[in-house]
Amino acid sequence: MADDLLQQAQELFEGQIDFEGQKKTELVSTIILAVSGLLAFILGFVQQNIYVTLWVGLSGAAIAFLVVVPPYPFYNMSPEKWLPKGSGMAGSGIEIDGRRIN
Amino acid sequence: MHSTLVRAQNVFGFFTTVAFCTALLTALSVLLTPQTPSATIELRNVQVVKGRPHYYSPKKEEYAHIKFDLDADFTSLFNWNTKQLFVWITATYPPANTSSSAHPSQAIIWDTIVNSHSQSHPFNPFKFFEKAPLSTKKPQKSTPTKKQEPRLRPGIVRLKNSKPKYQITDISGLLSDCVNVTLEVGWNVQPWVGALTWTLPEGMQLGRWKGVKGGKSKVFNMPALKGKSANSEPVVASSGTPKAAEASAVL
Repeated sequence: MADDLLQQAQELFEGQIDFEGQKKTELVSTIILAVSGLLAFILGFVQQNIYVTLWVGLSGAAIAFLVVVPPYPFYNMSPEKWLPKGSGMAGSGIEIDGRRIN
Repeated sequence: MHSTLVRAQNVFGFFTTVAFCTALLTALSVLLTPQTPSATIELRNVQVVKGRPHYYSPKKEEYAHIKFDLDADFTSLFNWNTKQLFVWITATYPPANTSSSAHPSQAIIWDTIVNSHSQSHPFNPFKFFEKAPLSTKKPQKSTPTKKQEPRLRPGIVRLKNSKPKYQITDISGLLSDCVNVTLEVGWNVQPWVGALTWTLPEGMQLGRWKGVKGGKSKVFNMPALKGKSANSEPVVASSGTPKAAEASAVL
């Protein structure tokens, strides 16, 4: 019971996502930050107001944090299909230096 | 990107890169706006008096009190990235011992800080989330004044017969009868991000930035010490020296 709770807390803290999710977060964070930086400069320059640049850039960063950092379920849509437990042991086994290890 | 901490680190790391690039673009964009500063400076009156650097000083020095007119247009120095402008006036004069290799001496007689619109009216997005004032009287009072206040471009400096902020003296302590003195206007643009830029002298051009138009007064001479004759020899030499002081002040 206590172990389960502890494991849940650990998972919540670590917030791990699958490989596809990692690919997505990489792409999404890069796009949001780069676009918001460029938009910040353009909007500020057009309006001739440096504060627009500052706040557009900062809000873009805040959005990137909110979108990417928490482990949303859509970053865990394609979990890795591991081999079933004990499937590899009986037949092939692992060979090291010609000796079969079970 | 597998865990929360790593994702937070990666996002923050790339954010710093983006912030740096945006700041770099902002700093470079300043070069696109043309700058055409102009200034007219004229001497109004100059007096040289004896004084002490501080109350208990036994040393007496000569201090020049220079009054001037300044009519300057620095509006083109204010672009979207300008935080404030520092303007000053220097008095330039050749050194006392006239060895030709020596550099002229310079002393600042007046300076000021001109705030940009963005500096004096900071934009804060959180003000949109603030509650509107509950009382009905206050907004009625404040709205007409806000509408009347136009968004002026700062940078026009007009001074008529202005007193100097600083009374200058020379390292030798002697300043009376000093010849070939000129007043010059200088400035320093302080941006929000990017490099500080200083006075572009007349005739120089840097891309779209032109050097200052005018910005120098006519050459004048320092008068003789005021009240010198009255203090030391009250009767005899009083007729000659005050006239000389008046004459050079007109120049």
